[in-house]
Amino acid sequence: MTDIDTLQKDLANLPPDHPDRREAAVPAMLSLQSETGYLDDAAIEKIAEVTGLSSTEIEELATFYSLIYRCPTGRHIVQICDSVCCSMRGADQLLTAAENYLGAPLGGLASECAPTVLPSICLGLCDKAPAALVDGEAAGPLNRTLLETLLKRLQTEE
Amino acid sequence: MEAILTRHLDQDNPQNLAAYQATGGYRSLNTAFDLKPEKIIETVEAANLRGRGGAGFSCGMKWRLRGADAPSPRYLVCNLDESEPGTFKDRYLLYGAPHAIIESVIVSAFALQAERAFIFVRGEYAKGGHRLIQAIREAETAGLLGRNLGGSGFDLHIDVHLSGGRYICGEETAQINAIEGKRPNPRPKIPRPSTHGLWGQPTTTNNVETLVNVPHILMNGAEWFRRLGINGGCGTKLFCISGKVKHPGVFELPCGTPARELIYKHAGGLDNDERTLLGFLPGGASTPFLLPQHLDVPMDFDPVAEAGSRLGTGSLIILDDTTCPIETVLNLTRFFARESCGFCTPCRDGLPYLVQILNAIATGNGSADDLALLDELCSTIATQSFCAFAPGAVMPLVSSLKDFHEHYEQHIITQRCPFDASRKEAV
Repeated sequence: MTDIDTLQKDLANLPPDHPDRREAAVPAMLSLQSETGYLDDAAIEKIAEVTGLSSTEIEELATFYSLIYRCPTGRHIVQICDSVCCSMRGADQLLTAAENYLGAPLGGLASECAPTVLPSICLGLCDKAPAALVDGEAAGPLNRTLLETLLKRLQTEE
Repeated sequence: MEAILTRHLDQDNPQNLAAYQATGGYRSLNTAFDLKPEKIIETVEAANLRGRGGAGFSCGMKWRLRGADAPSPRYLVCNLDESEPGTFKDRYLLYGAPHAIIESVIVSAFALQAERAFIFVRGEYAKGGHRLIQAIREAETAGLLGRNLGGSGFDLHIDVHLSGGRYICGEETAQINAIEGKRPNPRPKIPRPSTHGLWGQPTTTNNVETLVNVPHILMNGAEWFRRLGINGGCGTKLFCISGKVKHPGVFELPCGTPARELIYKHAGGLDNDERTLLGFLPGGASTPFLLPQHLDVPMDFDPVAEAGSRLGTGSLIILDDTTCPIETVLNLTRFFARESCGFCTPCRDGLPYLVQILNAIATGNGSADDLALLDELCSTIATQSFCAFAPGAVMPLVSSLKDFHEHYEQHIITQRCPFDASRKEAV
């Protein structure tokens, strides 16, 4: 049984206006996304069904949060910090280098096996600037060569 | 100096329950249970523990003002949504000492007689959040959480709320909306969360670093804690130092340690010894700049305020004389423009307008009227917006107009950025 199924079972017997239903919306989105990589329209409908909220309410939350993805993502996600400390140490050049290397704009997918590269607000890795999160793991300090090596590895590994 | 916040810290291999207990962990629970909640609050207030999340409000006073007779259920929220650029201290605590966080939440919840606590973890720290959940399960299994925890008669359940992202979720009332599953816009200032917080019930929110001090205060007393600080400060502080320094990092040092010592001794000085210090942000992205003449200001709440800035999160971002201050302010303002929740017009539309003007100046397309326009816009945005986000957002910009006036003029008169050459050296 997946996390979302467990959640559905937990919420099933609660009254429609029970606060636990709304509270479960973000955990449900993150849980489903961890299985599918992003939330398509069917996923939004599914979460609406599980929580008892309207699909509009779920969509409103999904589009507010920066870590909920409504477009397809690659097998790997690289978030490159573009906030002040990383920017001072060349984050902007790293973002450009990533676009050039992958041949796709940030957030875009050049091929099926390409990683998704996204700009991010401060990742709390200012001591590793310029830094990135690679599938949630900290990486840094990066330079162009290290980044390209990393992207190449992510493109080729299973 | 006695390290208290970093005592149990191990980023690579955080202590499990047994190791944490073997090195003194969870001992404050018995101390707390032997005291009455009012006595704990009195001790924390006497210790002058001030909020480490940015505002610097007295933790004990916040707890006392909620009132012992607040109706149940009562909630405690531990704010671990650290997203302020330049701030990475809470990440160290989350990844390095999950049980220290749990112990702190237990004794703090006992002081507040809160039966449910939330630890709000930013989504970018998800791996740390999972470590924390694992540690909570360990504590539950050992009877340190749940009903009648540790045989005290006190019940506490801790939930970890993993956020979906966005800086605004660090704001107290936006965070409450986020936990409830609502769109995380900040709420009106009145009624206060202390009476009408989560689901309309009394709710107390504290930054995680603030709470991690509490067990040590209970074990050693208020006077002991006050004496840990220097130059009038109380306790120790996790200072983050980043930007143009040799050894960026987190340093636990006495509250009141002068900026000069932080930058030149602990962070190793500027990363190029031939450069000079241009200025620094003392408390994260939403604080006014300080200049080289402020290097001897004790890094504590009141002295930094007297110097014209804010201690904020105690995160120093260092600029040397190759760092373009206009480019830096543009980056900061762009950050805030992107992170605005969009609820009120001055913030949603005003911050992008500031970015547009700053970008023109930074790229050599500024005009002579821009500086007065920036000043006027900042004043309107700061006073007309709904929450504290926008006033904080414009703070570095407003101070830069004064502190780096000549740099602005140089950009506008020469129609180019004088730092272009040095910037190309990066990466």
